[in-house]
Amino acid sequence: MKRPSTLTGYALLYLAFLYLPVLFLPLFSFNSGTIVAFPIKGWTLDWYRKLGEQDTLIQALWNSIGVGFVAALLSTAIGLFAARAFVRYRFKGQRAAEGLVMLPLVIPGIIVASSMLVLFLFLGLKPSLVTVALGHIFLALPFAVSILKSAFDDFDASLEEASYDLGVGVFETFRRVTLPVVAPGIIASILVTFTVSFDEFVLAFFLSGNQPTLPVYIWSQIRFPAKLPNVLALGSILLFTSVLLLVLAEYFRRRSSGKGT
Amino acid sequence: MIEKNIIELSGVEKRYGSFAAASGINLDLKEGEFFSLLGPSGCGKTTVLRMIAGFQDPTQGTVTIDGRNMEGVPANNRPTNMVFQSYAIFPHLNVGNNVAYGLRGRAPKAEIENRVAEALEMVELGGLQLRGANELSGGQRQRVALARALIMRPKVLLLDEPLSALDKKLREQMQFEMRNLQQSLGITFVMVTHDQYEAMTMSDRIGVMFNGRLAQVDTPASLYARPCDEEVASFIGEMNILPASVAGESDNALSVNVAAFGNMQIDRNPNVTNPGKGIIIGIRPEQLEIKSEKPEDYPATVQGKVINVAFYGENIHYHVTVDGHDKPIAVSVPNYFHTVDFNRGDTVWLGLQAASAIDLGRGK
Repeated sequence: MKRPSTLTGYALLYLAFLYLPVLFLPLFSFNSGTIVAFPIKGWTLDWYRKLGEQDTLIQALWNSIGVGFVAALLSTAIGLFAARAFVRYRFKGQRAAEGLVMLPLVIPGIIVASSMLVLFLFLGLKPSLVTVALGHIFLALPFAVSILKSAFDDFDASLEEASYDLGVGVFETFRRVTLPVVAPGIIASILVTFTVSFDEFVLAFFLSGNQPTLPVYIWSQIRFPAKLPNVLALGSILLFTSVLLLVLAEYFRRRSSGKGT
Repeated sequence: MIEKNIIELSGVEKRYGSFAAASGINLDLKEGEFFSLLGPSGCGKTTVLRMIAGFQDPTQGTVTIDGRNMEGVPANNRPTNMVFQSYAIFPHLNVGNNVAYGLRGRAPKAEIENRVAEALEMVELGGLQLRGANELSGGQRQRVALARALIMRPKVLLLDEPLSALDKKLREQMQFEMRNLQQSLGITFVMVTHDQYEAMTMSDRIGVMFNGRLAQVDTPASLYARPCDEEVASFIGEMNILPASVAGESDNALSVNVAAFGNMQIDRNPNVTNPGKGIIIGIRPEQLEIKSEKPEDYPATVQGKVINVAFYGENIHYHVTVDGHDKPIAVSVPNYFHTVDFNRGDTVWLGLQAASAIDLGRGK
């Protein structure tokens, strides 16, 4: 059956509409003029060069990296146990539990952010990088769980049984068999959850207090037209890093499925 | 040799809700024997094996291994080792580390190395220590799984359908090798299989299971010659089943009137648990005589017509319809002279010796 060419055209148009605006970001970041409009005045790397000179930006970058690191490690660790339980066991309330874990994907960010702010203030936790990290663990958990679930899906349960059978206890089996076999899935999960945290704005905006993460910093700079090209350069770097991390994550995720049985 | 029971199952039952995966299992396994649990898929044989290994707990009854009650003893503390159906080779370890897995931290390094080399030698994979787990063929994986279990020097080796993933030629070779290995090591092997030929060729004794119950436990030869009922008879090899009525009986003989073949005197089958007046008789296809003339020296004969001829190479199967029985009777003749003596439509005579007619008790 021949595919109607109108459908192909529609698909191409759709993709262009989706991704072209994103591509303007890196394009204008090389523009020597400060106004984001065609025609482009000239080509320059100045905006990138100037990024390194801004201390508050560097501080925000480190804040983001720190929060991302903590959120990635903890959400992956929690997700590891959840995913193993979801795949390996059948228990009462399993569907409800799985649904609850996935819920942050669909709850509006603003609701989560404001309710978390209320909760943390109630608990006496001042908005800081700690509260941002806690919020990001919650947001990143569904990503960790779904990546690790697919890693455990491809993991032959008899591998763990074989280890017990050879006289090795539960914890040592986890360390010597389970962890290394699902390692590619764990790496993929860490990369994805790091990216989720690194790019997140709403929660960080509400919970970061006076310690901005990179997206919060960018937002604060956008208000000043003169800083716009700088923000474009920074945004392009963020875009590139995120895509790179996710591609890397996908590579590891595929490796983990290829390794099954 | 004094025969000692290495495994004793008494009144073992495994229930999942109202479904009994295994029930009423009483079984004594002797030290050094090759025992097979044989049955169709879903009959509960793997459940029994896993209860011995400690992966599942019986709902009722006790499992005793080497004189010790295994209740509450987890798999890692049992003197058994298992070869899994999927082989469960650790994908992140090479062959040497797979085989050494259970010994790590429990023996000096040098000793582990020696034992790994020895175990690999035993399964004819000598020198392959550094080969990656993903570079192994099916047969090699099977051998690694064997070596990894045997290096632990278990009292009992459990094998869950160990050969089902291999192709036919390799399977036959491995049957032979595993039997030899078991004999030279003197370890008790307990194998689960759905393949009757595999069970027959390898085992000292076979336990046949249907629907979670052990139907019969016996040597391959007596399972074949004296199955306890129609179900076992038809599962092990091919069997012609004919109804018969009992005209008279003594302690060890029955006087029966067999459909199509008529009156004859046969031995009572000691394994039958449900005798009666109307019984069924089993006849192995290879024990029937087939001739173009009425055969002499046979107490029972019947005339029939060949309706199907199947050439198997080593033997030839004929299906013969006879008066007095609606199902055709299967006859198997060894291929002695590379000739097929009868064709479709030929009129033939079948001859039956009393010793070939097996009393299978009442039907179901």
